[in-house]
Amino acid sequence: MDAKLVNPFVDALVTVMPQMGFAVPKRANISVCSQTTKSLGVSVIVGFTKVLRGNVVYNMTEETAKFIASTMMMGMPVAEFDDMAQSAISEMSNMLTANAATNLAAMGMEVDISTPSLSIGADFQIKISNDSYLVVEMDLGGHIMELDIAVR
Amino acid sequence: MEKIRIMIVDDSRVSCAMLTDILNKTNFVVCGTARNAAEAVELYQELCPAAVTMDMNLPDADGIECSRRLRAIDPEAKIVMISAMRDASLIMKGREAGISSFLQKPVSENELLDTLLVLCHDRTGIISVLRESYVKTFVKVLRKSLFSLVGVHSKVDLEVDEDDYLEVDGVAVIIGLTGYPMGRAIVYMDQATMMKFSQVLLNQEEAELDETDASDAVEEAANIIVGRGVSKINDIFKDKEMRITPPGTICGEKIRIANSKLTSFRITASTQLGDICMNLGFAEGE
Repeated sequence: MDAKLVNPFVDALVTVMPQMGFAVPKRANISVCSQTTKSLGVSVIVGFTKVLRGNVVYNMTEETAKFIASTMMMGMPVAEFDDMAQSAISEMSNMLTANAATNLAAMGMEVDISTPSLSIGADFQIKISNDSYLVVEMDLGGHIMELDIAVR
Repeated sequence: MEKIRIMIVDDSRVSCAMLTDILNKTNFVVCGTARNAAEAVELYQELCPAAVTMDMNLPDADGIECSRRLRAIDPEAKIVMISAMRDASLIMKGREAGISSFLQKPVSENELLDTLLVLCHDRTGIISVLRESYVKTFVKVLRKSLFSLVGVHSKVDLEVDEDDYLEVDGVAVIIGLTGYPMGRAIVYMDQATMMKFSQVLLNQEEAELDETDASDAVEEAANIIVGRGVSKINDIFKDKEMRITPPGTICGEKIRIANSKLTSFRITASTQLGDICMNLGFAEGE
C-alpha cells in the first residue's frame, strides 16, 4: 500500500470541506493497519476502479456525522441522524471521492467511483483489504473523521 | 413517438446552437431558448417544457437564481445545470434551488442525453427499464452461480426494495458498479446462513470455521456472482461498459445500510442453506 496515495484523499478534504462552510481540516494522525476496521457508528464506503482499484471508507461517530450534516445544511440543527442528514453525509462522501478521483487522474491514475453506501450500527466490522490499508484521521473543527484507504 | 421538449437557458449563441444540434438529432426537441432569467421565466410559463438546461452565467441573474424562479412557478421543474465550474459549493447551492443534475462544459453528448432521458422518464418507466435490462440478468446469474458454487437449488424472488434500510445481521458484501448504470450491489445473509454457506463452499462441512474465514468465503462468492452479472450485461449491451469495484465487507449485528435516494431491487434466493439476498441499487431515477 503506497503512502503517496493518501495525498489525493487528504487534498480532497482540504479543498472540498471549506467550500461547504467548514474550517480547513487538519491531518491528525496517519497509520497503516492490516485488520478489519471497526465502524465508529456511521461508515460510508465508496469504491473505485479503472487504473487503480480500491475502496475508501469515511468513518465517523454519529455525533460527528450530525455535526457535518448540520454544517452542510447551513447550520440547521440536526437532532436526529435522519434521512436528510444521511443524505448529506452520502453527498459529502461522493463529492470528496470525486475530488480525490480528479487528484488521482492528475497523477496519471484515472478512476471511476461508485455510489456511496452508508451503513449505521453500534459495533460492526468493515473489511476493505486483504492485507494492509491506510488510516488517516482528519480533524474537522474538533470532530474526527477517519479515512480508511485501500487499493487492491 | 412524440418528441420530448427541452428549453435551453443560455446567453451564448454558440452554446445554444451546439446544444440544439445535439438534441435535435434525437428524440428530444428544443422548444425554446431564453437568453436571460427574465426571458426564461416568461418562456417556461408559455412552453411548459419537459426539462430545462441552465447555464450558470446569465446577464440578469445567475443560473441558480433563475432555477429558483422556475421552481417557484413549477415546483416539479426539471433542471440540468451546464457550467464551466462544477465545484462542491455550486452543487450544494444548486441542489437547494432544485437543480437535479450538474454537467460540466464542454458537455459530452452521451452524458447529456442520458441525464435528460432519466430526468424525463417517470419513476415507473425507469424501474421497468432497470428491471428488464439489468436486474433480471442478475436474477439468472444468482440462481446459476449458487448452483455452481455451493450446489444448491434456489427459489428466487425479485421485488422493488422500497425500504429505507437494509437490515443486516450477519454479513454484507458491498460492490460498487461504475459506468452506466451506476450503483452498487450488496450480497447479504444472516450469520447462520453465512456459516453454512462457507462450510459448503470451502468443502469443510464438518469443521468449525471462524467468522473471518466464513465472511471471506462469502466475499469471494459475492465478487464472483456480481462479476458474472456485470460481464453478462456488458455482453448484451456492447456500447455500455459496466465495471465493478473491489468488495467492501461488513460484519456484525443490527447494521442498517441506507437504501434511500436509489432505485433499488431486492433479489432473495431461498435455499436449503438459508436466504441469500442481493440488493441492487441504481443512482438513476432518484
